[in-house]
Amino acid sequence: MHISEGILSGSVLVTCWAGTIIGTAYGLKHTDTDKTVRTALISSAFFLASLVNVRIGPSSTHLSLLAPMGIILGNSVFPAVLVALMLQALLFHFGGLLVLGANTFVMGGAALLTHVIFGKAIREGKGRAHVRVMSFIAGVFAVMAGASLAGAFLGMTDRNFIGAVKILLIAHVPLALVEGAVTMFLVMWLKRAAPEFLS
Amino acid sequence: MTKGIYTLEFPRQSLVINSTNSNSPAVVLVSALSYALAVSISTSIAALFTALLMPLTFILTKRFKLSHLVKINIVNIIMIFTLAMTWPIFIDGLVMGAVIALRVNMICVAFGVMIYPLGTAGMYEALCVLNVPMKLRVLVILTLRGIYTLSERYSSSITSVKLRAPELSGMMRLKVFAYMIGNILLQTSERSENIMRAVKCRGGFGGFKQSENDGFNLRDIVMMTGYAFYVLGIVLLNNA
Repeated sequence: MHISEGILSGSVLVTCWAGTIIGTAYGLKHTDTDKTVRTALISSAFFLASLVNVRIGPSSTHLSLLAPMGIILGNSVFPAVLVALMLQALLFHFGGLLVLGANTFVMGGAALLTHVIFGKAIREGKGRAHVRVMSFIAGVFAVMAGASLAGAFLGMTDRNFIGAVKILLIAHVPLALVEGAVTMFLVMWLKRAAPEFLS
Repeated sequence: MTKGIYTLEFPRQSLVINSTNSNSPAVVLVSALSYALAVSISTSIAALFTALLMPLTFILTKRFKLSHLVKINIVNIIMIFTLAMTWPIFIDGLVMGAVIALRVNMICVAFGVMIYPLGTAGMYEALCVLNVPMKLRVLVILTLRGIYTLSERYSSSITSVKLRAPELSGMMRLKVFAYMIGNILLQTSERSENIMRAVKCRGGFGGFKQSENDGFNLRDIVMMTGYAFYVLGIVLLNNA
Protein backbone atom coordinates (compact mmCIF):
# COMPACT_ATOMS: atom_id res chain seq x y z
CA MET A 1 0.00 0.00 0.00
CA HIS A 2 3.05 2.27 0.28
CA ILE A 3 3.29 4.65 -2.66
CA SER A 4 6.90 5.03 -3.75
CA GLU A 5 8.81 8.29 -4.21
CA GLY A 6 8.83 9.91 -7.65
CA ILE A 7 5.41 8.70 -8.81
CA LEU A 8 2.89 11.30 -7.59
CA SER A 9 2.67 14.74 -9.18
CA GLY A 10 3.53 17.92 -7.27
CA SER A 11 -0.11 19.00 -6.88
CA VAL A 12 -1.17 15.58 -5.52
CA LEU A 13 1.78 15.57 -3.08
CA VAL A 14 0.88 19.04 -1.80
CA THR A 15 -2.84 18.15 -1.49
CA CYS A 16 -2.00 14.97 0.44
CA TRP A 17 0.36 16.84 2.78
CA ALA A 18 -2.38 19.40 3.44
CA GLY A 19 -4.84 16.59 4.25
CA THR A 20 -2.28 14.87 6.49
CA ILE A 21 -1.49 18.07 8.39
CA ILE A 22 -5.20 18.71 9.01
CA GLY A 23 -5.78 15.06 10.05
CA THR A 24 -2.73 15.08 12.34
CA ALA A 25 -3.71 18.39 13.96
CA TYR A 26 -7.23 17.03 14.54
CA GLY A 27 -5.78 13.78 15.91
CA LEU A 28 -3.37 15.55 18.26
CA LYS A 29 -6.23 17.69 19.56
CA HIS A 30 -8.07 14.49 20.51
CA THR A 31 -4.99 12.88 22.08
CA ASP A 32 -4.58 13.79 25.74
CA THR A 33 -1.41 12.93 27.67
CA ASP A 34 -2.91 9.72 29.05
CA LYS A 35 -3.88 8.55 25.59
CA THR A 36 -0.40 9.29 24.18
CA VAL A 37 1.03 6.04 25.55
CA ARG A 38 -1.67 3.92 23.93
CA THR A 39 -1.36 5.85 20.67
CA ALA A 40 2.42 5.27 20.66
CA LEU A 41 1.92 1.58 21.43
CA ILE A 42 -0.54 1.06 18.58
CA SER A 43 1.76 3.07 16.33
CA SER A 44 4.61 0.68 17.25
CA ALA A 45 2.37 -2.33 16.56
CA PHE A 46 1.51 -0.87 13.14
CA PHE A 47 5.23 -0.35 12.47
CA LEU A 48 6.06 -3.94 13.43
CA ALA A 49 3.07 -5.43 11.58
CA SER A 50 4.63 -4.39 8.29
CA LEU A 51 7.71 -6.44 9.18
CA VAL A 52 5.77 -9.61 9.93
CA ASN A 53 5.47 -12.01 7.02
CA VAL A 54 2.25 -14.03 6.96
CA ARG A 55 2.29 -16.90 4.50
CA ILE A 56 -0.70 -17.21 2.17
CA GLY A 57 -0.29 -20.42 0.18
CA PRO A 58 2.93 -20.26 -1.81
CA SER A 59 3.51 -16.53 -1.30
CA SER A 60 3.59 -14.23 1.71
CA THR A 61 2.20 -10.83 2.63
CA HIS A 62 2.65 -8.11 5.23
CA LEU A 63 -0.12 -7.21 7.63
CA SER A 64 -1.21 -3.58 8.07
CA LEU A 65 -3.57 -3.72 11.10
CA LEU A 66 -5.37 -0.62 9.77
CA ALA A 67 -8.80 -1.65 11.06
CA PRO A 68 -7.68 -2.43 14.65
CA MET A 69 -5.81 0.90 14.63
CA GLY A 70 -8.92 2.79 13.58
CA ILE A 71 -11.17 0.97 16.05
CA ILE A 72 -8.80 1.36 19.03
CA LEU A 73 -7.47 4.87 18.40
CA GLY A 74 -10.46 6.50 16.72
CA ASN A 75 -9.78 10.18 16.04
CA SER A 76 -6.13 9.91 17.14
CA VAL A 77 -5.21 7.58 14.31
CA PHE A 78 -3.54 10.12 11.98
CA PRO A 79 -0.61 11.06 14.29
CA ALA A 80 -0.02 7.35 15.01
CA VAL A 81 0.15 6.48 11.30
CA LEU A 82 2.34 9.52 10.53
CA VAL A 83 4.90 8.63 13.21
CA ALA A 84 4.98 4.92 12.30
CA LEU A 85 5.46 5.66 8.60
CA MET A 86 8.14 8.26 9.34
CA LEU A 87 10.07 5.72 11.43
CA GLN A 88 9.61 3.09 8.70
CA ALA A 89 11.05 5.52 6.15
CA LEU A 90 13.97 6.45 8.42
CA LEU A 91 14.86 3.01 9.73
CA PHE A 92 13.95 0.67 6.87
CA HIS A 93 13.55 3.05 3.89
CA PHE A 94 9.97 1.85 3.24
CA GLY A 95 7.91 4.40 1.30
CA GLY A 96 9.77 7.70 1.60
CA LEU A 97 9.75 11.06 3.31
CA LEU A 98 8.35 13.18 0.48
CA VAL A 99 5.44 10.77 -0.05
CA LEU A 100 4.99 10.47 3.71
CA GLY A 101 2.04 12.87 3.44
CA ALA A 102 0.37 10.77 0.75
CA ASN A 103 1.01 7.45 2.51
CA THR A 104 -0.25 8.85 5.82
CA PHE A 105 -3.35 10.20 4.11
CA VAL A 106 -3.99 6.83 2.42
CA MET A 107 -3.56 4.67 5.53
CA GLY A 108 -4.75 7.16 8.15
CA GLY A 109 -7.77 8.00 6.00
CA ALA A 110 -8.65 4.32 5.63
CA ALA A 111 -8.29 3.70 9.38
CA LEU A 112 -10.32 6.82 10.25
CA LEU A 113 -13.08 5.82 7.81
CA THR A 114 -13.17 2.37 9.40
CA HIS A 115 -13.57 3.99 12.83
CA VAL A 116 -16.37 6.27 11.58
CA ILE A 117 -18.29 3.52 9.77
CA PHE A 118 -17.72 0.47 11.98
CA GLY A 119 -16.39 1.79 15.31
CA LYS A 120 -19.71 2.25 17.07
CA ALA A 121 -21.23 -0.97 15.72
CA ILE A 122 -18.22 -2.98 16.93
CA ARG A 123 -17.97 -1.32 20.34
CA GLU A 124 -21.68 -1.44 21.12
CA GLY A 125 -22.61 -4.56 19.12
CA LYS A 126 -24.94 -6.80 21.12
CA GLY A 127 -24.49 -10.33 19.84
CA ARG A 128 -21.13 -12.03 19.34
CA ALA A 129 -22.06 -13.01 15.79
CA HIS A 130 -22.89 -9.40 14.91
CA VAL A 131 -19.55 -8.09 16.26
CA ARG A 132 -17.71 -10.92 14.54
CA VAL A 133 -19.22 -10.12 11.12
CA MET A 134 -18.79 -6.35 11.54
CA SER A 135 -15.12 -6.63 12.55
CA PHE A 136 -14.38 -8.98 9.64
CA ILE A 137 -16.00 -6.51 7.21
CA ALA A 138 -14.11 -3.64 8.91
CA GLY A 139 -10.80 -5.45 8.35
CA VAL A 140 -11.56 -6.09 4.68
CA PHE A 141 -12.89 -2.55 4.21
CA ALA A 142 -9.81 -0.86 5.75
CA VAL A 143 -7.39 -2.56 3.36
CA MET A 144 -9.55 -2.04 0.29
CA ALA A 145 -10.23 1.61 1.26
CA GLY A 146 -6.48 2.19 1.61
CA ALA A 147 -5.77 0.57 -1.76
CA SER A 148 -8.61 2.57 -3.36
CA LEU A 149 -7.28 5.86 -1.95
CA ALA A 150 -3.78 5.01 -3.20
CA GLY A 151 -5.33 4.17 -6.59
CA ALA A 152 -7.25 7.45 -6.60
CA PHE A 153 -4.06 9.45 -6.04
CA LEU A 154 -2.31 7.55 -8.82
CA GLY A 155 -5.29 8.24 -11.09
CA MET A 156 -5.19 11.94 -10.17
CA THR A 157 -1.49 12.02 -11.13
CA ASP A 158 -2.11 10.49 -14.56
CA ARG A 159 -5.28 8.87 -15.93
CA ASN A 160 -3.17 6.25 -17.68
CA PHE A 161 -2.34 4.71 -14.29
CA ILE A 162 -5.86 3.21 -14.20
CA GLY A 163 -4.67 -0.14 -15.61
CA ALA A 164 -2.00 -0.43 -12.92
CA VAL A 165 -4.54 0.64 -10.27
CA LYS A 166 -6.79 -2.30 -11.24
CA ILE A 167 -3.87 -4.69 -10.68
CA LEU A 168 -3.13 -2.97 -7.35
CA LEU A 169 -6.72 -3.48 -6.18
CA ILE A 170 -6.84 -7.13 -7.22
CA ALA A 171 -3.48 -7.79 -5.51
CA HIS A 172 -4.87 -6.43 -2.23
CA VAL A 173 -7.86 -8.83 -2.09
CA PRO A 174 -5.99 -11.75 -0.38
CA LEU A 175 -4.43 -9.33 2.12
CA ALA A 176 -7.87 -7.82 2.82
CA LEU A 177 -9.30 -11.28 3.62
CA VAL A 178 -6.40 -12.11 5.96
CA GLU A 179 -6.74 -8.70 7.62
CA GLY A 180 -10.47 -9.27 8.01
CA ALA A 181 -9.86 -12.57 9.80
CA VAL A 182 -7.09 -11.15 12.03
CA THR A 183 -9.24 -8.09 12.89
CA MET A 184 -12.20 -10.34 13.72
CA PHE A 185 -10.18 -12.58 16.08
CA LEU A 186 -8.35 -9.62 17.63
CA VAL A 187 -11.56 -7.65 18.30
CA MET A 188 -13.31 -10.70 19.76
CA TRP A 189 -10.34 -11.36 22.05
CA LEU A 190 -10.10 -7.71 23.16
CA LYS A 191 -13.86 -7.53 23.81
CA ARG A 192 -13.55 -10.52 26.10
CA ALA A 193 -10.18 -9.81 27.78
CA ALA A 194 -9.98 -6.00 27.86
CA PRO A 195 -13.14 -4.24 26.66
CA GLU A 196 -11.76 -0.89 27.92
CA PHE A 197 -9.15 -1.10 25.12
CA LEU A 198 -11.93 -0.61 22.57
CA SER A 199 -13.76 2.15 24.43
CA MET B 1 3.51 -23.55 13.54
CA THR B 2 5.49 -24.49 10.46
CA LYS B 3 8.77 -22.85 9.66
CA GLY B 4 8.60 -19.31 8.34
CA ILE B 5 4.89 -18.69 8.77
CA TYR B 6 5.29 -15.52 10.80
CA THR B 7 8.81 -14.24 10.55
CA LEU B 8 9.74 -10.87 11.94
CA GLU B 9 12.33 -9.14 9.79
CA PHE B 10 13.70 -6.72 12.33
CA PRO B 11 17.34 -5.79 11.75
CA ARG B 12 18.14 -4.18 15.10
CA GLN B 13 21.39 -2.67 13.89
CA SER B 14 19.29 -0.29 11.76
CA LEU B 15 18.13 1.38 14.97
CA VAL B 16 21.68 2.47 15.79
CA ILE B 17 21.89 6.22 15.45
CA ASN B 18 24.89 7.32 13.44
CA SER B 19 25.00 10.94 12.38
CA THR B 20 28.09 12.09 10.47
CA ASN B 21 26.69 15.33 9.04
CA SER B 22 27.87 18.50 10.76
CA ASN B 23 25.04 20.66 9.40
CA SER B 24 21.87 21.34 11.34
CA PRO B 25 19.50 18.36 10.82
CA ALA B 26 16.65 20.79 10.07
CA VAL B 27 18.64 22.38 7.22
CA VAL B 28 19.63 18.97 5.85
CA LEU B 29 16.02 17.75 6.04
CA VAL B 30 14.55 20.83 4.32
CA SER B 31 17.27 20.82 1.61
CA ALA B 32 16.80 17.12 0.83
CA LEU B 33 13.00 17.38 0.80
CA SER B 34 13.01 20.43 -1.49
CA TYR B 35 15.38 18.61 -3.86
CA ALA B 36 13.09 15.54 -3.81
CA LEU B 37 10.05 17.72 -4.55
CA ALA B 38 11.84 19.34 -7.50
CA VAL B 39 12.79 15.88 -8.82
CA SER B 40 9.22 14.59 -8.39
CA ILE B 41 7.70 17.38 -10.47
CA SER B 42 10.39 17.27 -13.18
CA THR B 43 9.31 15.93 -16.55
CA SER B 44 11.75 17.57 -18.98
CA ILE B 45 15.01 15.83 -19.89
CA ALA B 46 17.10 18.96 -19.13
CA ALA B 47 15.65 19.24 -15.60
CA LEU B 48 16.10 15.52 -14.90
CA PHE B 49 19.73 15.57 -16.09
CA THR B 50 20.47 18.65 -13.96
CA ALA B 51 18.90 16.90 -10.98
CA LEU B 52 21.02 13.82 -11.73
CA LEU B 53 24.24 15.80 -11.09
CA MET B 54 23.91 15.69 -7.30
CA PRO B 55 23.31 11.91 -6.90
CA LEU B 56 26.09 11.25 -9.43
CA THR B 57 28.46 13.37 -7.34
CA PHE B 58 27.50 11.39 -4.23
CA ILE B 59 28.14 8.10 -6.05
CA LEU B 60 31.43 9.21 -7.65
CA THR B 61 32.75 10.54 -4.33
CA LYS B 62 31.83 7.15 -2.79
CA ARG B 63 29.40 8.66 -0.29
CA PHE B 64 26.73 6.25 -1.54
CA LYS B 65 27.15 2.59 -2.51
CA LEU B 66 25.33 1.51 -5.67
CA SER B 67 24.61 -1.86 -4.08
CA HIS B 68 22.00 -0.11 -1.89
CA LEU B 69 19.92 0.47 -5.02
CA VAL B 70 19.64 -3.20 -6.03
CA LYS B 71 16.48 -3.99 -4.01
CA ILE B 72 14.75 -0.77 -5.13
CA ASN B 73 15.52 -1.47 -8.77
CA ILE B 74 14.12 -5.00 -8.63
CA VAL B 75 10.80 -3.36 -7.62
CA ASN B 76 11.37 -0.72 -10.32
CA ILE B 77 11.70 -3.38 -13.04
CA ILE B 78 8.35 -4.91 -11.99
CA MET B 79 6.83 -1.41 -11.94
CA ILE B 80 8.16 -0.56 -15.43
CA PHE B 81 6.85 -3.86 -16.80
CA THR B 82 3.41 -3.31 -15.16
CA LEU B 83 3.15 0.25 -16.54
CA ALA B 84 4.23 -0.84 -20.02
CA MET B 85 1.59 -3.57 -20.06
CA THR B 86 -1.23 -1.42 -18.65
CA TRP B 87 -0.52 1.93 -20.38
CA PRO B 88 -2.63 2.62 -23.53
CA ILE B 89 0.56 2.71 -25.65
CA PHE B 90 3.33 0.24 -24.71
CA ILE B 91 6.26 2.58 -25.44
CA ASP B 92 4.71 5.47 -23.51
CA GLY B 93 4.26 3.21 -20.48
CA LEU B 94 7.86 2.06 -20.79
CA VAL B 95 9.12 5.67 -20.91
CA MET B 96 6.91 6.68 -17.97
CA GLY B 97 8.20 3.71 -15.96
CA ALA B 98 11.80 4.59 -16.79
CA VAL B 99 11.31 8.25 -15.75
CA ILE B 100 9.73 7.18 -12.44
CA ALA B 101 12.57 4.69 -11.86
CA LEU B 102 15.14 7.44 -12.50
CA ARG B 103 13.37 9.76 -10.05
CA VAL B 104 13.16 7.02 -7.39
CA ASN B 105 16.89 6.32 -7.72
CA MET B 106 17.82 10.01 -7.50
CA ILE B 107 15.67 10.59 -4.42
CA CYS B 108 16.98 7.40 -2.78
CA VAL B 109 20.59 8.47 -3.26
CA ALA B 110 19.86 11.98 -1.92
CA PHE B 111 17.99 10.66 1.13
CA GLY B 112 20.55 7.89 1.64
CA VAL B 113 23.38 10.42 1.92
CA MET B 114 21.55 13.32 3.56
CA ILE B 115 18.60 12.20 5.69
CA TYR B 116 19.00 8.54 6.68
CA PRO B 117 22.38 9.03 8.44
CA LEU B 118 20.68 11.58 10.74
CA GLY B 119 18.86 8.69 12.42
CA THR B 120 15.95 9.15 14.76
CA ALA B 121 17.87 11.47 17.11
CA GLY B 122 18.74 13.85 14.28
CA MET B 123 15.19 13.71 13.00
CA TYR B 124 13.90 14.54 16.47
CA GLU B 125 16.25 17.53 16.61
CA ALA B 126 15.04 18.67 13.17
CA LEU B 127 11.42 18.41 14.34
CA CYS B 128 12.30 20.58 17.37
CA VAL B 129 13.91 23.28 15.22
CA LEU B 130 10.95 23.18 12.79
CA ASN B 131 8.59 23.78 15.75
CA VAL B 132 6.65 20.55 15.33
CA PRO B 133 4.17 20.24 18.27
CA MET B 134 5.56 18.71 21.45
CA LYS B 135 2.84 16.03 21.50
CA LEU B 136 3.97 14.70 18.12
CA ARG B 137 7.63 14.70 19.16
CA VAL B 138 6.81 12.81 22.36
CA LEU B 139 4.85 10.35 20.23
CA VAL B 140 7.97 9.75 18.09
CA ILE B 141 10.07 8.94 21.16
CA LEU B 142 7.42 6.73 22.78
CA THR B 143 6.77 4.89 19.51
CA LEU B 144 10.46 4.15 19.09
CA ARG B 145 10.55 2.80 22.63
CA GLY B 146 7.38 0.80 21.97
CA ILE B 147 9.00 -0.79 18.91
CA TYR B 148 11.82 -2.18 21.08
CA THR B 149 9.43 -3.44 23.75
CA LEU B 150 6.91 -4.98 21.35
CA SER B 151 9.57 -6.65 19.20
CA GLU B 152 11.10 -8.30 22.29
CA ARG B 153 7.71 -9.56 23.48
CA TYR B 154 6.78 -10.67 19.97
CA SER B 155 9.97 -12.71 19.62
CA SER B 156 9.46 -14.53 22.90
CA SER B 157 5.74 -15.12 22.18
CA ILE B 158 6.43 -16.51 18.72
CA THR B 159 9.04 -18.90 20.14
CA SER B 160 6.57 -20.22 22.71
CA VAL B 161 3.80 -20.61 20.11
CA LYS B 162 6.19 -22.48 17.78
CA LEU B 163 7.11 -24.85 20.61
CA ARG B 164 3.53 -25.44 21.75
CA ALA B 165 1.86 -25.78 18.36
CA PRO B 166 4.34 -26.40 15.54
CA GLU B 167 1.76 -27.61 13.01
CA LEU B 168 -0.90 -24.87 13.04
CA SER B 169 -2.52 -24.03 9.73
CA GLY B 170 -5.46 -22.21 8.12
CA MET B 171 -7.81 -20.10 10.22
CA MET B 172 -6.43 -21.49 13.47
CA ARG B 173 -3.04 -20.00 12.56
CA LEU B 174 -4.59 -16.54 12.09
CA LYS B 175 -6.61 -16.93 15.30
CA VAL B 176 -3.52 -17.75 17.35
CA PHE B 177 -1.67 -14.86 15.71
CA ALA B 178 -4.47 -12.38 16.53
CA TYR B 179 -4.73 -13.58 20.15
CA MET B 180 -0.98 -13.27 20.48
CA ILE B 181 -1.04 -9.67 19.19
CA GLY B 182 -3.88 -8.82 21.61
CA ASN B 183 -2.01 -10.37 24.50
CA ILE B 184 1.22 -8.54 23.70
CA LEU B 185 -0.63 -5.23 23.32
CA LEU B 186 -2.35 -5.62 26.70
CA GLN B 187 0.80 -6.58 28.59
CA THR B 188 2.87 -3.81 27.00
CA SER B 189 0.11 -1.27 27.50
CA GLU B 190 0.08 -1.84 31.25
CA ARG B 191 3.86 -1.54 31.43
CA SER B 192 3.92 1.60 29.27
CA GLU B 193 1.22 3.30 31.34
CA ASN B 194 3.26 2.64 34.49
CA ILE B 195 6.32 4.15 32.82
CA MET B 196 4.27 7.18 31.77
CA ARG B 197 3.19 7.67 35.39
CA ALA B 198 6.86 7.53 36.42
CA VAL B 199 7.75 10.11 33.74
CA LYS B 200 5.01 12.43 35.06
CA CYS B 201 6.25 11.98 38.64
CA ARG B 202 9.71 13.08 37.53
CA GLY B 203 8.37 16.30 36.05
CA GLY B 204 6.94 15.41 32.66
CA PHE B 205 8.87 15.70 29.45
CA GLY B 206 11.45 18.25 30.62
CA GLY B 207 14.25 15.82 29.76
CA PHE B 208 13.45 15.85 26.08
CA LYS B 209 14.23 19.57 25.91
CA GLN B 210 17.95 18.74 25.79
CA SER B 211 17.57 18.03 22.09
CA GLU B 212 15.98 21.38 21.36
CA ASN B 213 18.98 23.44 20.48
CA ASP B 214 20.57 26.35 18.74
CA GLY B 215 19.94 28.20 15.53
CA PHE B 216 21.82 28.00 12.24
CA ASN B 217 25.53 28.66 11.66
CA LEU B 218 27.29 30.02 8.56
CA ARG B 219 27.75 26.52 7.15
CA ASP B 220 23.99 25.94 7.32
CA ILE B 221 23.22 29.23 5.61
CA VAL B 222 25.68 28.42 2.77
CA MET B 223 24.13 24.97 2.36
CA MET B 224 20.58 26.34 2.34
CA THR B 225 21.45 29.02 -0.23
CA GLY B 226 23.27 26.53 -2.45
CA TYR B 227 20.36 24.09 -2.42
CA ALA B 228 17.83 26.88 -2.99
CA PHE B 229 19.65 27.92 -6.19
CA TYR B 230 20.07 24.32 -7.34
CA VAL B 231 16.40 23.46 -6.77
CA LEU B 232 15.31 26.73 -8.41
CA GLY B 233 17.49 25.84 -11.42
CA ILE B 234 15.81 22.43 -11.76
CA VAL B 235 12.33 23.99 -11.53
CA LEU B 236 13.16 26.73 -14.08
CA LEU B 237 14.65 24.20 -16.53
CA ASN B 238 11.52 22.08 -16.16
CA ASN B 239 9.28 25.04 -16.98
CA ALA B 240 11.47 26.34 -19.84
